[in-house]
Amino acid sequence: MSDQHIVSSFDRDLEGIQAHIMKMGGLVEKAILDAATSLETRDEELAEKVRAGDRAIDALEEQINEETARLIALRAPTAIDLRLILSVMKIAGNLERIGDYAKNMAKRTTVLSQMSPINGATAALRRMAREVELMLRDALDSYIQRDPDLANDVVQRDHDVDQMYNALFREFLTFMMEDPRSITPCMHLHFIAKNTERMGDHVTSIAEQVIYLVTGEMPDEPRPKRDRTSHDASVAPDA
Amino acid sequence: MYDAPTPENRVTDQTIKFSARKVQVYYGDTHAIKDVDVDIADNTVTAFIGPSGCGKSTFLRCLNRMNDTIDVCRVEGDILLDGEDIYDKKVDPVQLRAKVGMVFQKPNPFPKSIYDNIAYGPRIHGLANSRADLDEIVEKALRRGAIWDEVKDRLDAPGTGLSGGQQQRLCIARAVATEPEVLLMDEPCSALDPIATAQVEELIDELRQNYSVVIVTHSMQQAARVSQKTAFFHLGSLVEFDDTEQIFTNPKDERTESYITGRIG
Repeated sequence: MSDQHIVSSFDRDLEGIQAHIMKMGGLVEKAILDAATSLETRDEELAEKVRAGDRAIDALEEQINEETARLIALRAPTAIDLRLILSVMKIAGNLERIGDYAKNMAKRTTVLSQMSPINGATAALRRMAREVELMLRDALDSYIQRDPDLANDVVQRDHDVDQMYNALFREFLTFMMEDPRSITPCMHLHFIAKNTERMGDHVTSIAEQVIYLVTGEMPDEPRPKRDRTSHDASVAPDA
Repeated sequence: MYDAPTPENRVTDQTIKFSARKVQVYYGDTHAIKDVDVDIADNTVTAFIGPSGCGKSTFLRCLNRMNDTIDVCRVEGDILLDGEDIYDKKVDPVQLRAKVGMVFQKPNPFPKSIYDNIAYGPRIHGLANSRADLDEIVEKALRRGAIWDEVKDRLDAPGTGLSGGQQQRLCIARAVATEPEVLLMDEPCSALDPIATAQVEELIDELRQNYSVVIVTHSMQQAARVSQKTAFFHLGSLVEFDDTEQIFTNPKDERTESYITGRIG
C-alpha cells in the first residue's frame, strides 16, 4: 500500500501530529533521566528544571489532543488512519502521565536532599529509571518504525522493572524496620520507586498501542505481572 | 448483571437471501465481473464499494436481471435467491423484479400523479382487489418511504413536481409498494442534499427490519453509516467482504485499505 494519501494535506496533518508525539517523547525521556540524576547527585537546580519542564510536556499533550480532534472532525479517518489517530491520543496521554511521575520524582528530590542519604538507594533508583527510559526510547522507535517485534520486546521487559521495584520495596522495608529515623526518606524513596514502576506500565501501554496500530489487534497475552508486593503477605511488616 | 445491548450494526439474522457463486459477467469481449462469490443475508444492509468501473453496479444489476436488457451482456455462474436460480429459464424477470426492487441514482418518477406512481406496480401485479385496497397499499408505501406527511394532501399532483429528495423517497416508496423481499439501491443519495440523505439513510435502516437491502455507494462514510456488511470490488473482482466494522477499522486486504483511506493504490 502506498504511504501517501491522494489529498496531500491529510498526510501533512498526520506528519505534524506525529512530529509532536516525537517531540513530547524526547522531552519525557530527558525528564526521566534528569530527575533520576538530580536525585542521585542531590542537584536541586536540575530538579527544579525538571519540575518547570513539565509544563511544556502538558502543553504538547493539549496541542496533540486539539489536532487529533480536528483531524477526526475534518478527515473522518478510517482503517490505518483511524488506528493511528487513536494510538496517538493514547500515547500522548501515557507520555503526559510519565512526565508527571518524573516531575513528582524531582519534587521529592528537593525534600530528600535536605535529609541524610540512604545507602545505595538513589543509585538503584537511577538504574531503574534508566531502564524505563531505555524502554521508552525503544517503544518510540518501534512506533516510528512500525515494528511490532520491538514493541513486544518492550512489553516483555516491563517485568525487569517490576522486579527492580520488588527488590527496592523489600530493601526500604528493612531499612525502616532497622532504623525508624529512616522512615521519612524511605517513604519518599518508595514512592519514587513505585512511580518509576508505574512509568514502566505506561511505556508498556505505548508499546501495546504500536502493536494495535500495526496489526489492528491488541496483544491478547496478558503481560507478565511480577509486582507481587500488593498481595504478598510475607513482606508486610506485621505478618 | 447488566447486559450490554447488541450493537445496532451487528448482524443477528444470518438467513442467506442471495447466494452468488463464480459469477462472471461479460460485455462483449470485456470481462466485467470475475469469479464473484458472495452471500447476502436477510434483514441486513450490504454495501458495495469500490472505484468507478470496478463492477459493483454491474453486479448489483445481475441480482434482478437488469442486465438482460443489454444485448451484449452475458452472465455466467450461479445466483440463487432463496435457493432458486434466478437465471433459470422458468423464472419470469418481471416477477423476479417484483421480488427484487430497485432504486436508481437519479430519482425517476413516472410522469404521473404521486398516487399513480405508487399504484402502478401493485396494479400490474394484481396486488389490489379494490380501490380501497389500492388506497391502503399506496398510503402504506408512502408511509414506509417517509414521505406520506408531505404528500398526503396532494396525491393527484404530478410526482415530477416534488423536490429531488422527495422524488427519491417517492421512488423508494414505489419500490416497496410491490412488497419486494430485496431492495437494490444504486447510489440512492448521490443527487440529494445532506438532509434528504439522512432521511433516506434513516429509511434504509427501517427497511432492514423487513427486507434485505443492497446499496452501491461512492460515499465511504455512507457505507459505514448504513451497512452491516461491506463488499469491496476492484477491477471486477470481489476483493474483500466482511463486517462493515471490520472493513473500516482493520481491513485485511491492502487494496481495501488503500481505497477506504484515500491513498493512491
